Amino acid sequence: MSITNKITVKRAEIAVAVILALCSIALMIKSAENRITWNAEENMGAGFLPFYLSLGMLICTILTIIKFVLKRSPQSKDDSPFIDAVAFKFIAVTIISLVVLVLAIGYLGIYFSLIFFLAFYLRYFSEKRISFITIFAITTPILTFLFFEWMLKIPLPQGVSEPLFYPVYDFMYGGFSFAVKMIFIILTVLLPTALVFLTSRFIK
Amino acid sequence: METVGFLLDGIFTSLQWFNLALLIFGCLIGLFVGAMPGLGSVNGVAILIPITFIIPPTAAIIFLAAVYYGAMYGGAISSVMLGIPGASTAVATVFDGRPLAVKGEAMTALTAAAVGSFVGGTVSVILFTLFAPPLAEVALRFNAPETFALMVMAFATFVGLGGDDVPKTIFSILIGLALSTIGLDLITGKPRLIFFNIPGFLHGINFLVLAIGIYGIGEMLWTLEETKGKVQMSKLSVNMKEVGRAFGALKKTIMAMNIGSFLGFFVGILPAAGATPASLMSYGITKQLSKNSKEFGEGVPAGVVAPECANNSASTGSMLPMLTLGIPGSPTTAILLGGMILWGLTPGPLLFTQEPEFVWGLIGSLYIANFFTLVLNIALIPAFLMVLRIPFAILAPVIFVLCVTGGYAPTQSLHDVWLMLLFGFAGYILRKLDYPVAPAVLSIVLGPLAEKALRQSLILSDGSMGIFFDVSEKPIAAVIMYIAIVLLIMPAFGPLYRRLFKKKQTA
Repeated sequence: MSITNKITVKRAEIAVAVILALCSIALMIKSAENRITWNAEENMGAGFLPFYLSLGMLICTILTIIKFVLKRSPQSKDDSPFIDAVAFKFIAVTIISLVVLVLAIGYLGIYFSLIFFLAFYLRYFSEKRISFITIFAITTPILTFLFFEWMLKIPLPQGVSEPLFYPVYDFMYGGFSFAVKMIFIILTVLLPTALVFLTSRFIK
Repeated sequence: METVGFLLDGIFTSLQWFNLALLIFGCLIGLFVGAMPGLGSVNGVAILIPITFIIPPTAAIIFLAAVYYGAMYGGAISSVMLGIPGASTAVATVFDGRPLAVKGEAMTALTAAAVGSFVGGTVSVILFTLFAPPLAEVALRFNAPETFALMVMAFATFVGLGGDDVPKTIFSILIGLALSTIGLDLITGKPRLIFFNIPGFLHGINFLVLAIGIYGIGEMLWTLEETKGKVQMSKLSVNMKEVGRAFGALKKTIMAMNIGSFLGFFVGILPAAGATPASLMSYGITKQLSKNSKEFGEGVPAGVVAPECANNSASTGSMLPMLTLGIPGSPTTAILLGGMILWGLTPGPLLFTQEPEFVWGLIGSLYIANFFTLVLNIALIPAFLMVLRIPFAILAPVIFVLCVTGGYAPTQSLHDVWLMLLFGFAGYILRKLDYPVAPAVLSIVLGPLAEKALRQSLILSDGSMGIFFDVSEKPIAAVIMYIAIVLLIMPAFGPLYRRLFKKKQTA
């Protein structure tokens, strides 16, 4: 019996309810670091609202658990798998690759991490040819860069790859005319595409 | 007459070239987002809101409203062609849209959907123009107690009318509110809930982090599970003759249009309802009142028109409380409301006097967007069909890129991106177990506003909760509060009522 068959909706329901109850208790304890009292004389303590909101959350999860024990909720009677094996592979790989992506962004910077993320993801899930995947994985970060850094002037994290971008910034904010910049933009998108296209032809 | 002047100003505002370009662009994106299975208006607006920070608020709201609007049109495309609703708002469109496509009359279904959307949108925006100014005038007299009461009512509608498991719904509301208290306390200035002393929590949790997490990452995980990366499409022949015939078939759907437009608008105004229940209700009622109700479900144009009319009408309706009261009428407007705060506006009736260009620009743009979306929708049907052929395995990583960059951009901290991933995953798991996620998004947006209103009211009343229930002192607040209480206890009477009713039947 595989793992995905063992995790039934029933088991997931009770496990999640217990985890949420524990989280609510943790929130209550954390809120109690501030004053949680409130009466007519003194103002509301900073911990008052978070404390009672998380108490409410705890009560709701306890009700969910009671409904589960009494078999009142549809999930408490459901013995089907929480997720089927094929979908589990999709979800697990997606989540792991996203976590690796965000880890990599902190170190490598977003643009290079995106190249690896897209290349891996498309290679793993789609049946596209390598030339397509390469073009896609290179042009998407370039477009992201142009959109965020050039149009919106929002710097995205660059990690250790930052020095590589200095010449690009020099060009962007240098005294070049609009036309030169536009030609540059078009070339940055077209060149990698053309390169990949040509190499894929030769390799064949 | 004053309204007409404002409205004309608004229409001219939305016709300025920059706004008009954004409007058309927004309609296109909306149609695209709506057409993609798994993505709806709320996902589009949540993912796109970070890129509106550099444009003026009026242009930003026109753009996002156009996305919202376009998505309501676009949802029908995949409902008809794939048999998968493009968004939850288009679920009811599948009932008759899909059978029509199977019969080879896909073009009739698509045209009926587009025209239905147009009629619903137009009727509702006229109702909106009529209702908004007087409602805003009434709302101008609202103070902190009334505002707080309204917010309690917004939460209560989820419990009373949401139809989901009650403890799970309340949990969702409370966790959204609890998340919104993270950060510095606005009265005492003390830091609250700074987990593991991570400094990132000091500036609180931006609602966008939760919204993009749930509606971007979570939704993608959900759709990946549903479709496993692949889609199946039915065939379509496009020619002008077909379009003409489709228009001919619409004569019989006038009743559906009326029901959809009016019902949709008023259901849309309710905070918990929004476009999905509006379209389902409209379909149900049209079916019941129709002379040939037996043909519904086998492919009649009226069965497509009714829900499509209603979902567009409801999306406009849900903007009414957002603009006049500062209470969103749907998850999408909750995100728009959060956006308004980020753009530096104070949602609520004061907008009508302080930011008339913003309010009327938005209303005017709805008229214009309606027209453009109809034209673009019918003209670009072949293009959207090509888009629908894009396998999900390619679309998903692009959406993830948008989510990660969109989660990072507003605060420029990776801390928020991590939170977004966490919320996305948690939202996906919770949604699989029937925890409604929309209330959490609504309450993280309203949380800070509700807390401010509550604490101001309590300062007014020297700490007495009586201020919310005293009919002689604060009649409006009290009435709203009592309605909220009725809504909150309503689900408790549901099973009781059913049990009594059943007993009668068996007796």
